[in-house]
Amino acid sequence: MSTSIDAKLALNRKSGGRVVAAMVIWVVLLFVPFWLPMIGGYTDLATRALIYAIAASGLNLLLGYTGGLSFGHAAYFGLGAYGAGLCLIHIAPSVPLAILGGTVLGGIAGILVGPMAMKRKGIYFAMITIAFGQMFYFIAVRWNSLTGGEDGLTGFSRVPLHIGGEAIKLGPERFYYLVLVLFALVMAIIWQILRSPLGHSFVAVRENTTRLRFLGVAVDKQIWVAFAISTFIVALAGTLNALLTGFASPDNLGWQLSGSFVVICVLGGMRSFWGPFLGAVIFIVAQDYLSSVTQNWMSFIGLIFVLAVLFFPQGLLGFIKGRGR
Amino acid sequence: MVFKNTASLNRRNLLRAGAAAGVSSLAMPEVSWAQSEKTVKIGNIDPRTGTYAALGGNQIRGATMAVDEINKKGGILGRPVQLLVEDSQGLPGPAVSKAQKLVNQDKVNFLMGSVSSAVSGSLSQFANQHDLVFVDSGGHADAITGKKCTWNTFRTCSTTWMLTAGDFEPLFKKFGKKWFFITPDYAFGHALYTDYVAQLTKAGGTALGNALAPLGTTDFSSYLIQARAAKPDVLICLQAGDDLVNLLKQTVQFGMNTQMTVAGAMQEMEVLEALPPAALLGWWTFEWYWNQPNVPHVADFVKAYKSRYNNKVPTARSWFGYATAHALALAANQAKSLDALKVVRALEGLELPPEVALQPGKCYYRAQDHQMIANMFPGYVPKDASYPNLFDVSQTIPGGDIAKSPEEAGCKMAYPS
Repeated sequence: MSTSIDAKLALNRKSGGRVVAAMVIWVVLLFVPFWLPMIGGYTDLATRALIYAIAASGLNLLLGYTGGLSFGHAAYFGLGAYGAGLCLIHIAPSVPLAILGGTVLGGIAGILVGPMAMKRKGIYFAMITIAFGQMFYFIAVRWNSLTGGEDGLTGFSRVPLHIGGEAIKLGPERFYYLVLVLFALVMAIIWQILRSPLGHSFVAVRENTTRLRFLGVAVDKQIWVAFAISTFIVALAGTLNALLTGFASPDNLGWQLSGSFVVICVLGGMRSFWGPFLGAVIFIVAQDYLSSVTQNWMSFIGLIFVLAVLFFPQGLLGFIKGRGR
Repeated sequence: MVFKNTASLNRRNLLRAGAAAGVSSLAMPEVSWAQSEKTVKIGNIDPRTGTYAALGGNQIRGATMAVDEINKKGGILGRPVQLLVEDSQGLPGPAVSKAQKLVNQDKVNFLMGSVSSAVSGSLSQFANQHDLVFVDSGGHADAITGKKCTWNTFRTCSTTWMLTAGDFEPLFKKFGKKWFFITPDYAFGHALYTDYVAQLTKAGGTALGNALAPLGTTDFSSYLIQARAAKPDVLICLQAGDDLVNLLKQTVQFGMNTQMTVAGAMQEMEVLEALPPAALLGWWTFEWYWNQPNVPHVADFVKAYKSRYNNKVPTARSWFGYATAHALALAANQAKSLDALKVVRALEGLELPPEVALQPGKCYYRAQDHQMIANMFPGYVPKDASYPNLFDVSQTIPGGDIAKSPEEAGCKMAYPS
């Protein structure tokens, strides 16, 4: 129970420290293209970390706040990616349209899958989400003519944005800022949801389903809503990832990526607003760095995860917060 | 879903320092701008993990050896050459992430590598968007130097068409007209299948069936049962890497090697090496072989490679990496520039010198479609084969005789203005 009180306190409290910390994060993010190359990084790496942060934050609305362990959220990430690519290839060469199209495709799939998953609890919920995820994966692999099969979908790129008759090319820096703006938007939306009665009902679902039922709340519907919102956000991340890499591939939909999203949430802290963001930064940087220095890099990622679960069961951010009190 | 924090504070404190130190060292990639500013950097993206790890590993070995040789001979434009190796996992997504890293962080001058055709395709597109020279060392799909050819992409290994044309005639004449295919379900496999069937139909044979197996299949029994039911003269196995190892082992377990001729397009030293003796069989095409008694320089190369790498003989993959790195250096030195377009112009028509070509005849990058024209080495696995004598080359076929013309391949090259 102490965690739920913590969470509520954290949500309601507006202590100076939190505001300062949030401002520091935003300032650091705002100047990434300036400081990251100086320490030997590159802007696309930060873009990838932000995209994963969007996805993990979306998943965490379901996982951390509503208590639904989904192992199939990569499906909506991948649907977003394929949706964006197909929009660019077949409908119109427009980045905003691709983002919108991919997000809507993934989100609608989430709305449709939600009712079939929402009645299941615990491990069964995880199983059914992974099953739907693999279903979309095999559709992508098999539907060669539309998706390019195992090769993935290629042949699209970040076409320039047209604003007021002027063509703005989306280089790595400009694309980073586009992703940053969308990241900020997503974080603001999640923040508003968590402060609203809807968000409180999500946390209530996580804490005590039985009691909520006695109070006359339609628990299943709350899970469905949380599921649908989270799939929209994850699909948005998928569209951005497709635009970053210039293609969509079946691994964007696979269970390994779903697992990575869960790992990111757990690593950073599922009970923390910034936890998925922190987890994504650690995960992406570790993956990028380790896979360059050793071919056994997956063992180290696994080791980091094991250590995190053993010693920081509330995630790194949960641990840091616990220390501060 | 509620986590209970059971770890004691003492233990946490103890490990906190260690974990924090570990994470902070991860977050700070090493910086080596000062020393590396003057080196010419070649980014090499090859699979070090996953299905194609063995093949990728040899491409890296070949390229590393070539870079050492280049540096001994004065480097590129008098500057030392550095090979930056990254792991693609054999998947296009991670490959592009690595390309972004190599281009944006390490500022490489050239890109090379790839075993999987899917990776080659994604890297070719990436390099095109970044105006960078990319030499595909080992991804075979026709489209790379065919319909999807780009001004900045070259290819060292052969096309799928050349792989199938290499041994089609001997197979068809010796073993029969009815063929069954087991095809890996991605671009490379589909391309091989299409190319074989085109030649088979033209010659008056029939394709009895085609079983599509996903990449990474370990249990081929359902496909083999289909194949046996079809009663073909020739069973064509189009898998590569670990997939082919599993398929051949199971073919022998099913006893199908006694009922029909097992054959395929491409065969690799790495695959034969991994097979149990009972599964060493079949008719195949090699793209390069270490045992070429009458060809100058080959023996020296094999000797140097063996002493460098644990007494292992070089494979076709080693040669791909070796020839690709040398070709980039030769072209840049010839162009006297690192500018992408100038290097591209130098690579077009570039003929490999005999100590790099390491095979008879002329080896060159065809100017119109950027495809390397080298020899094919069709042959068979002899009885009682043992490492390193795992293959008998029956003949060397000059690539120029069997390659599709650039027009047939469908390449329309467009250059930046």
